Amino acid sequence: MTVILPLLFLLTAISGTAVVLVRDPVRQVFAIAVNGLVLAILFDALQAPDVALSELTVGAAAVPLLFLVALMAVRTQPPEEKP
Amino acid sequence: MTMLPYAVAAWLFGIGLYGIATSRNFIHLVGCLGICQSATYVLLLGLGYRWGSIAPIFYDHPPGTPAVDPVMQALVLTDIVVGATLTALLLVLTIQAYKRGGSLDPEKLRPMRAGGGSRRNQASSRADDGAGKTS
Repeated sequence: MTVILPLLFLLTAISGTAVVLVRDPVRQVFAIAVNGLVLAILFDALQAPDVALSELTVGAAAVPLLFLVALMAVRTQPPEEKP
Repeated sequence: MTMLPYAVAAWLFGIGLYGIATSRNFIHLVGCLGICQSATYVLLLGLGYRWGSIAPIFYDHPPGTPAVDPVMQALVLTDIVVGATLTALLLVLTIQAYKRGGSLDPEKLRPMRAGGGSRRNQASSRADDGAGKTS
């Protein structure tokens, strides 16, 4: 049990770094979803089950969906005037 | 071990700021801002955690059992909701900036003036002219 918590902290740092270093926004959506999942597991290990459930809903499902909707809107709607 | 949550929180905040400073895409920038916010989650929950204690739910435990700090968990819950709202607002602003300016690059961002609105009115009036010609 004393090994799991430092391992999850390191995994959180690694997945957060991956979100920043993945420069393509389409691939970054997957990194954001994985980061939300890792944060939810970390919160559950830190004895915060309500926060873990909220993070699982918001961080691993809702926020990546928002990013997908934004990418779809940017891709399908051309800008109004060319600079 | 006791310094590990603070170290991870500082690392996440630093790498998020690095991503915001070097980003060339507004959508990528909003994701980096989410990493900065996850640093605050880790910091608050690391502050409230105590070794060998239970979750602050006393349904099947006698009162007085050592538990982690529930105030920090309430703060993190508020922070998650605020973060999701902030992400939605910034993504909407990103889409509007792309519609007005034609680019997602922060380096190419021009100030949003009233001129953009007038150009849009000209475009809609041209569209009206075209509709008048066809009809």
